Amino acid sequence: MTHHIEELKKFTINKINLSLIGIFIFSVFLFVAISADIISPYGPWERFEPYSSPSSDHLLGTNDMGNDILSELFHGTRVSLIVGFGASIIATAIGILIGLSSGYYRGLVDEILMAITDISLMIPRIPLIIILAALLRPSFVIIMLLIGLLWWPNIARVVRSLTLQIRDSPFILSSKSLGFRDRHIIFSDIIPNIIYIIIPKFMLTIASAMISEASISFLGLGDPTMKSWGMMLNFAFMKGALINEMWWWYLPPGLCIVGVVFSLMIIGFALEEKDNTEEVDE
Amino acid sequence: MLPISVIVDNISKSYKYGIFTKNEDLILSDVSLEIIKGKTVGLVGPSGVGKTTLAKIIIGLERPTKGGILVNNSNIWNMPKDERLKTLRTIQMVFQDSQGSLNPKKTIEQSLYETAKLIGIQKTDRKSFILEHLEKVGLSSDIFCRYPHQISGGQNQRVALARILLVDPEYILLDEPTSALDIAVQAQILALLKNLQKEMKFGYLLISHNTPLIKHMSDNIVALKEGSVVFKGPPKKYCQITTME
Repeated sequence: MTHHIEELKKFTINKINLSLIGIFIFSVFLFVAISADIISPYGPWERFEPYSSPSSDHLLGTNDMGNDILSELFHGTRVSLIVGFGASIIATAIGILIGLSSGYYRGLVDEILMAITDISLMIPRIPLIIILAALLRPSFVIIMLLIGLLWWPNIARVVRSLTLQIRDSPFILSSKSLGFRDRHIIFSDIIPNIIYIIIPKFMLTIASAMISEASISFLGLGDPTMKSWGMMLNFAFMKGALINEMWWWYLPPGLCIVGVVFSLMIIGFALEEKDNTEEVDE
Repeated sequence: MLPISVIVDNISKSYKYGIFTKNEDLILSDVSLEIIKGKTVGLVGPSGVGKTTLAKIIIGLERPTKGGILVNNSNIWNMPKDERLKTLRTIQMVFQDSQGSLNPKKTIEQSLYETAKLIGIQKTDRKSFILEHLEKVGLSSDIFCRYPHQISGGQNQRVALARILLVDPEYILLDEPTSALDIAVQAQILALLKNLQKEMKFGYLLISHNTPLIKHMSDNIVALKEGSVVFKGPPKKYCQITTME
């Protein structure tokens, strides 16, 4: 038994080291997003000679409009991360609210909320977003809201099952019998005990939201006035970058999406793993 | 006016299931008992007979399907919510899982301070108030910075008891309070419970599978079988019946 625990610890330590790589990669993207105005060599809308190959003046060349692709990429980081974080915050907040209410109060509240959750889970999300994004005026705020409003059911399910697990724990029953209010029990006793699962879910939802935004933008339903990685891919595809083998145009935004998603996923998995090891230790 | 006794008056509890069939599982059927200050009632019965459900009903965590819990001759479920909460604070419960009785993410200090704050103890007086109660259960401030998993089962049970004492209860339900502890610590906790009862006149409802323990601690025994009371009386009589069986 001890041997197995040691093995698990070693495995987890490796995971934590891996998570440091994830944190480093994500920090680089975060830094780029925050300081895009300072570190970009040119403005994202500034025009130069179109279709130029990478050179010392334009490290990743220029696009069909003559915009510097590196500057576009830096500014695109900001938009993609804002959409990812925003959508994930909305989805996590709704998921926590519904999952906690459902698991804590149970009964009729649980039945109604879980019926809504189950119905929401059955909705094909990407097709619905495509339809809604096509019907509504294309805007990155609307895309962020749509993703946030459609990504909560999984989080709500997880939060509900975690809440159900601990709602009848002696320390919760003890708090109730001592006379603590529901609000105190939820915020002070339940959330601190489930937050270690919610944070990884939050990270993974950011990754999922960023992929969705990129997919929607790639299909041409994104905000044409904002430069996101998805929109960059969309323009590259539309203007023949793939046919003309202009890799410097389509490859960097694709790699950036993979890089951020990879970093967020390993951070998320490492956090989940860390929580499991703490439970084994205890 | 403080409650004189807690009367469990013909409590029945059933759980309904099924949307169309309206089936129900009867857990407790017409259970009556009385917890008097300074006395111990022992509640015995096999697993799954409804002992813990009854305890949860007494402390107001579950509502009975039939019958009532009378505190100071008033049914708690007929009281306004604020009055009910105030009344129910006089009935507390010690759980079997001593470590699980405290929030694992909070230090002992945090768990005790929030309880002192709950009952309106001024910030400046909280530490002395808590220390005074910790001393009653044989602990000191040395454990303040520890988490529940960093102290022993016996210490956890003492902290859980100290936390309960902070709200000044009249009655304490003891749900297998020593079954998760080793023999030596069991004896210490039982002695502590006896002393506290002698000193503060607590009314105990002791729930246990351990018949010798129940006989040793109780002034009266209530035995449950299939959700109903099958025996009510002094330990001596219970001994005679169980010996004959």
